[in-house]
Amino acid sequence: MASAEHTKQGFMLSKTHKAGLLNFLSAQGILVFFLLCMFAFSLFSEQFLSQSNIMTVVRQASIIGIIAVGVTVVIIGGNLDLSVGSMLSFSTVLVVDLHDKIGPVGAILVMFALTLMLGAVNGFLVGFMRLNSLIVTLAMLSAIQGLVLIYSGGQNVDIANQSETWFSVFGQGYLLGIAVPVIIFALLAIIVQVVMSFTGYGRRIFAIGGNPVAAVYSGVRKNWCVFSTYLISAFCVACAALVLGSRVMGSQNNVGQGYELLVLAGIILGGTSLLGGAGSIWKTVIGVLILGFIQNGLLLLGYPYYTQWLVTWVIIILAVWLDLANKRKRLLTRHS
Amino acid sequence: MFYKTALATSVMMLSAGLVQAEETYRIGITQNNVGVDSYQTTYESAFENAADELDNVDVVVLDAGGDVARQIGQVRNLIQQRVDAIIIWPTNGQAVIPAIRQAHRAGIPVVVTNSKIAEAGLDYIAAFSGPDNVQQGASSAEMMCEALDGQGQIVQIAGQPGYTTAMERSKGFEDRLAEACPDVEILETQPADWNREKAQRVMENFLTKYDDIDGVYAGDDNMGVGALNAAKSAGRAEDIAFIGATNFAVGYEAIERGEYYGSIYQSPVDDAEAALQTALDVLEGKEVPKMNFFETPKITADNLSEFDKPVF
Repeated sequence: MASAEHTKQGFMLSKTHKAGLLNFLSAQGILVFFLLCMFAFSLFSEQFLSQSNIMTVVRQASIIGIIAVGVTVVIIGGNLDLSVGSMLSFSTVLVVDLHDKIGPVGAILVMFALTLMLGAVNGFLVGFMRLNSLIVTLAMLSAIQGLVLIYSGGQNVDIANQSETWFSVFGQGYLLGIAVPVIIFALLAIIVQVVMSFTGYGRRIFAIGGNPVAAVYSGVRKNWCVFSTYLISAFCVACAALVLGSRVMGSQNNVGQGYELLVLAGIILGGTSLLGGAGSIWKTVIGVLILGFIQNGLLLLGYPYYTQWLVTWVIIILAVWLDLANKRKRLLTRHS
Repeated sequence: MFYKTALATSVMMLSAGLVQAEETYRIGITQNNVGVDSYQTTYESAFENAADELDNVDVVVLDAGGDVARQIGQVRNLIQQRVDAIIIWPTNGQAVIPAIRQAHRAGIPVVVTNSKIAEAGLDYIAAFSGPDNVQQGASSAEMMCEALDGQGQIVQIAGQPGYTTAMERSKGFEDRLAEACPDVEILETQPADWNREKAQRVMENFLTKYDDIDGVYAGDDNMGVGALNAAKSAGRAEDIAFIGATNFAVGYEAIERGEYYGSIYQSPVDDAEAALQTALDVLEGKEVPKMNFFETPKITADNLSEFDKPVF
């Protein structure tokens, strides 16, 4: 019960189907698909499966992945967060700009505090005011982009002495041979997955996303739960901004533009339902990695990066359709 | 901002009318998207400063915020106000043509600044003033030949697809490169949308894909520095010559450190002043050529000291 498959559908599946290779394959369809993708690309490009390329892709995917961890929690709770793109711009511009003004420690603290405040605004409007999360976060997407432009006055921000600051560690550093962004991504994913699977708090988030009425009747304080998911999402954005700012050592005003859709693509590809109440962090991790490898594979084959958009969304629609077709079939067999 | 300028303009007009009877020109400008990048932000203040210094010019400064519909509305507005000339920084080289034609029909000369409009609209404008992006691409190609001694393999990181500046620079670069040093081969071209982080990612993939890269041409320094960052973390920056365009402060500093071979110096101040001057020349009835390009010289370690560090 206390696993990530603690869902309406997941529960039914485990009851009706005993484990078998075929069932494993269809249940883990996304993983199988992932391996097929890797295999296909490796046929066309020698470098694709090289260790250095895999490291590069995982490192590149970690910024999207870090944000996706937080947004997955929001989605499991039955809401959406589209504001993460401009929130990322905001936080990156802020931390880079303040770095030279008040030093790295102060910059990081202020950035985290203000990013969490933006998350709190989202959380308040959706959780306590009960406004539609799509509209609230879409509005915040534009509003925060405006805020960034007002703050920076349109100027790009840069860190002056790039070789002299330890701030570079978050985006460019290595620990035991593993890139720091990857470590941050992995840590966040593991911690959040554990919280979602093994704590009462996690179960409450699944509950309000799956059946809000029942959850409220069983004593879940829905307002606070929803509010908290937006804080988690904002915290993840702040971590991503740390990595992004440190990687580029500068920031454009619109650096996060489009990230909200990439994040969403990774989550959907992983198989987390946009309806709430189902999903898991590790699925999102796989989804984000698939996204990263598709982009990288296409680039290695010499296609411009935007072909990735076409390919990704075709795959997503295919994946969603297969998933749905599968569920329908199972429901039918169960009832007959 | 706009109201303040409009107010200042009317006050200035009033005082100018009292003090002197000499003819005062009212020039309206609608810009593309001030505040979205440092170049455009600097352009706006430079334009206002240049207008302030001239006694016989009043300006109405507008900004379309990147929105084509709003820009068309602003042009109509300026026609209604009966300004003497309109300067437009097109949000889109095609969609603004009908509005420009309206101004032309109303007898108001239009000067297009910074970025060109499509061929079909050229009949309706008095002049274009801006950088010659084809020439800039060609200059970058010449620097590349110089840096590689006429032999090597390079990659190109281009600006946003569909953006005139990006296409013209690429074309100028590719044509001149083939002519000046045919032994330099472009392995691959990828767009990175003028975005440093994207350029960094594209370059990381190039570095994985190609074991031997001798040079990188980037459509602007922002992307060039992104590519440099990627090569530095892969430990391959020493073997690669980086050449950009639109010299940014970060690019200037990288040239100073000897990590970046060269770029093209394009000052938003020159750009703004040239636009205003072109409009004035038109109003004063001077013979003005259709295409007016302001100087955008090559900048490398050899002549770095002749230039001020860009403010953006």
